[in-house]
Amino acid sequence: MLSPMTTSSLIIETRGLTKRFGGSTAVADVNLRVPAGCAFGFLGHNGAGKTTVIRLLVGLTQPDAGSVRLAGRPLAAQRAAALARVGAIVEEPRFHNHLTGRENLRVIAAVRGPQSRRQLEPALARVGLADRGDDRVGTYSQGMRQRLGIARCLLADPELIILDEPMNGLDPGGILELRGLIASLVAEGRTVFISSHLLDEIEKTCDAAAVIDRGRIIAQAPMRELTGGASLEDRFLRLTSRVGDR
Amino acid sequence: MNRTVTRPMIAADILKLRRHRPTMTAAAVLSAGITALYLAVVLARHNGQLPAAQTLADGTTLMGLYFGSFAAILIGTEAGTADVASGVFRDLAATGRSRTTLFLTRVPAAIAVALPFTLGGLILTIAAAFAFHGTSPAPGAGLVAESAGWVVLATAAVTTLAVGVGSFTGSRSITLTAIIGWQTVATGLLYLATFLGAARDLVLLISLSRFFPGPAVGTRAHPGSSNALNNFKLPMPAATAVLVILAWAVIAVAAGAWRTRTRDA
Repeated sequence: MLSPMTTSSLIIETRGLTKRFGGSTAVADVNLRVPAGCAFGFLGHNGAGKTTVIRLLVGLTQPDAGSVRLAGRPLAAQRAAALARVGAIVEEPRFHNHLTGRENLRVIAAVRGPQSRRQLEPALARVGLADRGDDRVGTYSQGMRQRLGIARCLLADPELIILDEPMNGLDPGGILELRGLIASLVAEGRTVFISSHLLDEIEKTCDAAAVIDRGRIIAQAPMRELTGGASLEDRFLRLTSRVGDR
Repeated sequence: MNRTVTRPMIAADILKLRRHRPTMTAAAVLSAGITALYLAVVLARHNGQLPAAQTLADGTTLMGLYFGSFAAILIGTEAGTADVASGVFRDLAATGRSRTTLFLTRVPAAIAVALPFTLGGLILTIAAAFAFHGTSPAPGAGLVAESAGWVVLATAAVTTLAVGVGSFTGSRSITLTAIIGWQTVATGLLYLATFLGAARDLVLLISLSRFFPGPAVGTRAHPGSSNALNNFKLPMPAATAVLVILAWAVIAVAAGAWRTRTRDA
C-alpha cells in the first residue's frame, strides 16, 4: 500500500466504511481521504465497489459499519448540512424526460433552496446548454445529458462534485470538453471526485487517486507518487494483480 | 416544514405533473370528456331537456366516485411514482433534503392538479343543468355548493390515497390496478354484503358517500332502477365517516412517507 494522503483539509474522509448485500461484502473497511481543492480519481474494475462507495458518500444507502465526513461534517448526524454543498452524478444522470433541461434544473433547485435558484442560469450557461435549455430532455444526446447532470451539480454551488463514470458515452470532443470543465472547477477551489475505469483519462485529469479492488482501498496517493514514473495503467494492473486476466 | 422551502417544492411537483401530457390528456378525457358524453346522452334521451336535480347528482357522482375519481387516481399515482420511475429520486435524495418532506409535498401538488379536472367536470354539469332544465326547477345554489364541496372532499381523499400507495409501491401499474380495483369492484361487492353490517362503514367510498349531497341512488339502492351510477350511500354517523376518511388518508400518507424514507435510492 502506498503512503496515505497527508493534508490538513479533507473534503471526504471515511473511516471503516463497510457495506454488505446479503451474504456478500461489497465494500470493506474503506478509509478514504480526499484533500480539498483537487481533482481526485477513484479507480477500480467494474464491480470493484466504486458506485457503492459513492452511494454511501451521498447517503443513498446506509453503511453497515463506519462513517463518512464531508467537509468535516458527519453525514450520519448532519445529513442536510453535509450534503448542502455537494453535487453528485451517481451512475448515469437521470431526468424527467418530459420536462425541459431548464425545468429539470428548476425541480432540483426547488428542493435545494432559494440560493440554488439563483445558480440555475449560470449553471446552464457554464455547461453550454443555455440555448437548448427549453428543449425536452428526452431529445438530448448522451453528452448533453451528462452536461445537464453537471449543471445540476452546480446548483449546489458545490465544494465537492462527485462524478460517477462521467466519460461514459461521450465522444472524444465531449471528453475534451469535460476535461476542461473539470479543470476550471478545480481552479475555482472545488474538489472533483471522479470514479472511472478509464485510466488514461484519470491520469490526465486528476491530481491524486485511490484504487479500490474487491471492495477494499488498496492505494491512495498523489498521482505522481501513485504511478511512480510508470503509466497509471501499468501501476493499476499491477496493484490489482489482474495483468493475466486481460 | 419551512414554507419558503416547501412552496417551491410543491410548485416543482405541480410542474412535473402538468407537463406530463399522457396523464393530463387522460385526466381531461375522464373528467370533462366523460361528463360531456354523459350530458349529450341524457339530452338526447330527454328531447333536449335535463332533469336538473338528477343531472347534478349524476354529475357529482361521476366526478367524485367514478371517472373524475379515476383521473384523480391517475394524477396521484403519477405524483407518487414519477421520481422513482424516472430515476430522479436518487438525485433528490442526494441533495440532503428530508425524504419525508420530499414525499409530503407530493400530496398537495397532486390535489392541486386533480381538482381543476374534477371541478371542471362538475362545472360542465352545473352549466348544463342550468341551461337545459326546461320546465323542471333549476338546482339551488346551496345544492350546487354542497356538490362542489363534496367533489373537493372526494378528490382530495382519493388523490391522497393514490399518492400514498404510489409512493409505497413505486409502481404505476400496481397502484392503478389496486386502487381502481378496490374503488370499483371491491367497494361494489362490499356495499352489497349486507351481512357485514356496520363494518362496511370502513370502506372509503362508503364513508365519503355519507356526505353525498342527496339521497342514495343507483341500481343497488333501488333495485330495478335504470340509474347505473351507484353512490354507495349507507346510513352512518357523520363522526364515523369523518374518522374513517381521516384514517384512510393518515394510513396512506404514513405508508408512503415510510417507504420514501427507507427506499434504497
